[in-house]
Amino acid sequence: MAQNNFEIITNNPLVLGKLRETHYVVYHDISYEEILKEVRDRIHEGHRLLSHPLSGSVKPKETPYKSIIITTGKGMEPDIESLELIENAIEACGKFAFKADLYGAGVYKDFQLIDWTLLKSALESAEI
Amino acid sequence: MAKIKVVHYINQFFAQIGGEEKADYPAELRVGETVGPGLAFAANFKDEAEIIATIVCGDSYFNENLEKAKADILAMVKEQKPDVFIAGPAFNAGRYGVACGTIAAAVQEELGIPAVTGMYVENPGADMFKNHVYMIATKNNAAGMRGAVAKMAPLALKLGKGEPVGASAEEGYMPNGIRVNFFEKKRGSARAVDMLLKKLAGKPFETEYPMPNFDRVAPNPAVKDLAHAKIALVTSGGIVPKGNPDHIESSSASHYGEYDITGVTDLTEDTYETAHGGYDPVYANQDADRVLPIDVLRDMEKEGVIGELHHLFYTTVGNGTAVASAKAFAAEIGRKLKADGVDAVILTST
Amino acid sequence: MKLEMGYIHIKDIRFSEESRIQDGILYVSEKAVRETALEDEKLKSVSFDIARPGASVRITPVKDVIEPRVKVEGRGGIFPGIISKTDTVGEGKTYALKGMAVVTAGKIVGFQEGVIDMTGPGAEYTPFSKTLNLVMVCGAQEGIEPHEYEKAVRLAGFRVAVYIGELARTLTPDETTVYETYGLKEGIEKYPELPRVAYVQMLQSQGLLHDTYVYGVDAKRIVPTILSPTEIMDGAIVSGNCVSACDKNPTYVHLNNPVVHDLFEQHGKTLNFVCQIITNENVYLADKQRSSDWTAKLCRMLDLDGVIVSQEGFGNPDTDLIMNCKKIEAEGIKTVIITDEYAGRDGKSQSLADADTAADAVITGGNANQVVILPKLDKVIGTLDYITKIAGASEQTLHEDGSLEVELQVITGATNETGFNKLSAR
Repeated sequence: MAQNNFEIITNNPLVLGKLRETHYVVYHDISYEEILKEVRDRIHEGHRLLSHPLSGSVKPKETPYKSIIITTGKGMEPDIESLELIENAIEACGKFAFKADLYGAGVYKDFQLIDWTLLKSALESAEI
Repeated sequence: MAKIKVVHYINQFFAQIGGEEKADYPAELRVGETVGPGLAFAANFKDEAEIIATIVCGDSYFNENLEKAKADILAMVKEQKPDVFIAGPAFNAGRYGVACGTIAAAVQEELGIPAVTGMYVENPGADMFKNHVYMIATKNNAAGMRGAVAKMAPLALKLGKGEPVGASAEEGYMPNGIRVNFFEKKRGSARAVDMLLKKLAGKPFETEYPMPNFDRVAPNPAVKDLAHAKIALVTSGGIVPKGNPDHIESSSASHYGEYDITGVTDLTEDTYETAHGGYDPVYANQDADRVLPIDVLRDMEKEGVIGELHHLFYTTVGNGTAVASAKAFAAEIGRKLKADGVDAVILTST
Repeated sequence: MKLEMGYIHIKDIRFSEESRIQDGILYVSEKAVRETALEDEKLKSVSFDIARPGASVRITPVKDVIEPRVKVEGRGGIFPGIISKTDTVGEGKTYALKGMAVVTAGKIVGFQEGVIDMTGPGAEYTPFSKTLNLVMVCGAQEGIEPHEYEKAVRLAGFRVAVYIGELARTLTPDETTVYETYGLKEGIEKYPELPRVAYVQMLQSQGLLHDTYVYGVDAKRIVPTILSPTEIMDGAIVSGNCVSACDKNPTYVHLNNPVVHDLFEQHGKTLNFVCQIITNENVYLADKQRSSDWTAKLCRMLDLDGVIVSQEGFGNPDTDLIMNCKKIEAEGIKTVIITDEYAGRDGKSQSLADADTAADAVITGGNANQVVILPKLDKVIGTLDYITKIAGASEQTLHEDGSLEVELQVITGATNETGFNKLSAR
């Protein structure tokens, strides 16, 4: 799958910096949960999920960052599997207390890094 | 250490007043008395707790005078100021189970007094209240009294003393939607091997985490030729011929009715009524078509919108009816409808 | 494959001039292990400490826990593809030092995780409060990238564990157990009546701090494959997984995989333990599709009757777990799955991020969101600076009396998903 068949939805400035020249990156400065909802809206429009919305073991809302890969193209109808995954992810998000604003600046860099490496592991498969 | 004070709620049968014929016994407070199964509880409590009062109430009285019965009983309990409230056990008696669940939940929510009840897992009161009140899983008849009390009594003591309650598997209550951690005797991998061996041998086993049950029924494809289709009416709204000749219960129905409507074009106050105890019957009694739309379907028959209205309709009361019963009725009714060449069913409820 | 495991029970660990094991006591030369650890120039410093069960000691932030072992006879060595060469292991004779562990600790990222309390309520939840722990706190050189630091600490831990394991080479074990599995044909002939069972192990494979290595190969790059269950006893699978202390599998768990051991208990009696199947938990959805399809295919090709499936992690892996379960059940093969739960602090939320009615036989390691109070302990090995950053902890965590209010999430190994512990939930 070539680079231009998918796009990355993210709120992670590190991801934006690393990929903006070479990939289609949609960046919003919004919360973790709002990123999930943004992706959900895209899925309703017909895009398909390519990476898992709950990747990583750092829990939702503890890390404020999430990057998700979706198809650039749209299908005629929403993809049921993508819909279930994203809805389950949004529900799972609700279980976790919001902690992301409790950390010092240095830790945010670490969260950005982990989100980036999780995304990278998915990109490696996406770009075969 | 002061004795834990218990108020115990039982029905007319366990109070040895009578059977079904005495089910209309109004709520009665017996201060200082231990009645029926209360004796088994007392034996189990020894000197840690005592039953300071027993409340007896007929199952029909409770279910048919819900607001008054609840209010009266709550007042009685409030006056007695117990540390914990016990209802039942109800085993598989549907109306008793619903009454136990209702009153235990009310005592807890409105009086802030912890409560415990017990019944068989298929009792309609179970699904309705197990997430509201600690409910011990009992056998399906009174032969299970000893086992029921053996679990209800210690749990009641814990609640009365304000001690923390363990996981459902430890204490014997029905899983109530709250996951509680506890330590098993064996490690997880050993439990996994045990479970797999049972599953492979076709033996029963209990999962430690029941997956959420969606119980989805895939809809059939749309009826292609409605103008030539035979349509049947089935209802859980309890519409029956006036007088309820087959005595379908107002709740926890034990059977369904099959009635012939050959020549019937309209249901009237004189010919039909509702047996359902779960909604205000006034409008359904005035005109049962509101729940079972025979008049509209006859019109459609005449106009050629549908081919034919089947000459039989099937009815039961959905109120507090066990899921297992509903499934069984549906299977039988479905078979009969198919044998009669029915193409589609309109299912009404309330 | 046939492996004879010799167990040597370690009664205490003491620092000494000369490293040796004598009468069940491990004497360690700090100088020697320091040199071993610092072989990697990326590490600037390492400090060693001993934590004994029952002592008022807290170890944090924990990275990995490793059991020292040595290959006495047979092909290869411990940790093939990492410390030893890539020769296939799982045969011959191996010794393990029981009752002790090497614990690595160190700040790799700011959101630290992993607490081991050697006493108190926290000790109930971690299996490593019962081991004599030789703790190595590693500091990195300036300017080292997190992924380099992670790798350096990981390898340093393995080197030290191997160094210590080597000290047991000439000893006589206190007890011996033989583990043997057979080739397909041989197994069927030997146990024609017994159900054919395998262990499907899902390995964490999502990226930095979320990795597992099989003979040194990053698990996200593998396709599902078969291992002989004795291979893990020689360290064929090791952990690079540092996030979510409660349900990540430290290398100690890989070496002592309880599903493997409990299946061996029944092997030849009530079941035929055919093999271990490993698969991964990638982020890319098509990878999950491929891995679960292949896992089910392997189960079918091996003519299995039943499998036990374990996972590692939460959220993303839940999807793999359910996919594996559904597809294997669809082949007519019975499954039991092992997982943990995130049911919220009140226990009322949906425990898993994914569900299916095919998963009708589940073993749980407990609700990781359960709150516990960890009292102040006398000594901290590592640093408390980051305790509030640990997964599951928060700024409210540090009470005035020094006690910590945290979720089970932060305790190393608390809700292990290979069924290592007795913690469960209903």
